Amino acid sequence: MTRLASATEAAHAGLQIRRLGEIAYRDAFELQEELRDRHLAGRGRDTVLLLEHPDVITFGRGAEAGTALLSEAGLRAQGYDVHRVNRGGDVTYHGPGQLVGYPILDLKRHGRDVHLYLRTLEQALIACLARFEIAALCRPGFAGVWLDERHKIASIGVGVRRWVTLHGFALNVNCDLSRFAPIIPCGLEGVEMVSMESVIGVEVALEPVLRATAEELEKVFA
Amino acid sequence: MPKQIRMPKLSDTMEEGRLIAWRKSVGDAVKRGEILAEIETDKADMEFESFAEGTIAALAVEPGATVDVGTLIAVIALPGEEVADAAAAAEATPAASPAQPSPAPAAPPAAAVVPSAATASPAPSLAPPSPVIVPAAPLQPALQVSHVDDGRVRATPAARRLAEERSVDLTELDGSGPAGAILTSDVENYLAELERTEPPKDGPRATPVALRMAEELGIDLDAVKGSGPASRITKTDLLDHSKNEAARIKDREAELFRGAVQLSQKRKALIRNMVQSKAEAPHFYLQMEVQTDSLRELRDRVNGEGVEGRPRLTYTHLMIKAAALALERFPEANATYRADEHNIALYDVINVGLAVDVNDELVAPTIKDCQGKGIFRLVEEANELIQRARMRKLQPQDYADGTFTISNLGMFGVDRFYAIITPPQSSILSVSAIEPRPVVRDGKVAISTMTTLGLSVDHRVMDGVKAAQFLAELKRLLEEPEELLRDEAGFGD
Repeated sequence: MTRLASATEAAHAGLQIRRLGEIAYRDAFELQEELRDRHLAGRGRDTVLLLEHPDVITFGRGAEAGTALLSEAGLRAQGYDVHRVNRGGDVTYHGPGQLVGYPILDLKRHGRDVHLYLRTLEQALIACLARFEIAALCRPGFAGVWLDERHKIASIGVGVRRWVTLHGFALNVNCDLSRFAPIIPCGLEGVEMVSMESVIGVEVALEPVLRATAEELEKVFA
Repeated sequence: MPKQIRMPKLSDTMEEGRLIAWRKSVGDAVKRGEILAEIETDKADMEFESFAEGTIAALAVEPGATVDVGTLIAVIALPGEEVADAAAAAEATPAASPAQPSPAPAAPPAAAVVPSAATASPAPSLAPPSPVIVPAAPLQPALQVSHVDDGRVRATPAARRLAEERSVDLTELDGSGPAGAILTSDVENYLAELERTEPPKDGPRATPVALRMAEELGIDLDAVKGSGPASRITKTDLLDHSKNEAARIKDREAELFRGAVQLSQKRKALIRNMVQSKAEAPHFYLQMEVQTDSLRELRDRVNGEGVEGRPRLTYTHLMIKAAALALERFPEANATYRADEHNIALYDVINVGLAVDVNDELVAPTIKDCQGKGIFRLVEEANELIQRARMRKLQPQDYADGTFTISNLGMFGVDRFYAIITPPQSSILSVSAIEPRPVVRDGKVAISTMTTLGLSVDHRVMDGVKAAQFLAELKRLLEEPEELLRDEAGFGD
């Protein structure tokens, strides 16, 4: 946890953005829970954690057998950390080059509407992608951010307790797309993951994307 | 009364939710604010808290099931209530029915109401001391209240017991008690009335209510088994019978089909667009035959020149160029009707969509800004789009913003047809097979290669004369095709 404490914290009015750099899944999860508990105790502050994870595969509550093509042991042998988590959605891969965002928000301040929250997250990511001239869209019934029906650029999965959110989004910036291979993203067969870099065709650094995402999130969750 | 727990609406747009896991089992005590279940909607997992305190009497939905918002998912017996009674109440409620707005929200949702001594109703002496729920809110006039709430009839426990003993269908009765509740006197009056209207011995035996209902719904009473007093057919018997019939018909229908094809999002969008087009855009259709001998000569000549790096011309390419030129000359054909503003908007660009079939899926990539582009530029752009369509690599912007569409079924031997306009465009060109046909030339029958162009037009945007002129210009461009090459910079050098 020393690593978390040393993470840079930039205070903003309303929404607090915290940059954690590369951090293990479990550590980030513990921090999320801590922030959530503070909210539940009435002492919380709306916060977004922005970070990267080392290679990890997580199974949501909706995960069905067969969506991961390897056993847990097999995944570990290939260098993936594996976690089962209490969020919606199915199987997800996180890894370097993917911007992960965990907004810990009290939705009582943001409309008390779970779908509205998902749509707002999607729109913030779409606005961020638009800054890089990537036209993305959301698809009714398929949370996440898409380029079309087959190509997905960002995944979304959230958990809500007493209107306080946990988990969030993962935007593929310049990650190694072959690392998605052992899973069928979100249980949707025939869906191909793309990254900002693979779409634009030139190198895209994480830093400007992180900054743009933070700005778009501040606009909608101020 | 037991607390009915329904699938919560966690969003204005939420219509159904998936029950991921129960955190409580039947018989578990539950406190206010404790987590009952986890519910998923879209990609969000919500921990669902209890707002009641008591004991879980029934769980009506299996983990993993997706149900409509408002569907009964659990029943909690409140302190002092018997778990078994509460569970029975849950069974009496159709499990899958979403909550309807209560007909009188102000009325207390009491399933068992024992009138207080202050009311004029006779106090039912047989009523057991428990459960006694005295409504906290003042009673509404009975007239506003349906005595059927959430599928459960309101009746006093004594009336319910009497009805059960005498096989009376409570749904046939109107209650005269508070909040429309049925009293023992209502059941007694009903039984007396029933005896006065003993049906003929040879006909089907049904209650007066059921007789009326059967007549209205056209139900054959001979096919229904009676469960009422003296085996008479009741309203509930009829409802059960209709439900079973409906299920039987559905099963029979299911036998007719081999299976169902799930629709892709693209297909759903196409269905929506086509229905919208046919419903909103009044189509009319024009047809012209076009001689294509010169077009073929031109195509073969250009392709025969074998200029390196230049793509080969096809009829489709020439059609695109001809359409672009004709649209440039007839801005009225490159327009859309805007219902909101009651005007016709003329497009500033000419974007020609090309309907392409990719593995049984129809897509229409759009060649952008055709105005002023030379034919080989168009060919390159069209080829690139078609290739990406085949590889399913089209981006949303590739099939957006079309102002006109060409649909070609010629390669499938179609002689003539009319495509449906793609909204919000105002016309679509249907291109058929190019084939030798007999034609009359100088009073003699001759053979010429021909095709038929069909033009479907939105009458709100264009009238017959203008559309005919547009189509005639297209025909002229294809029959005298040199013009299609004219603005190709550097061509012929």
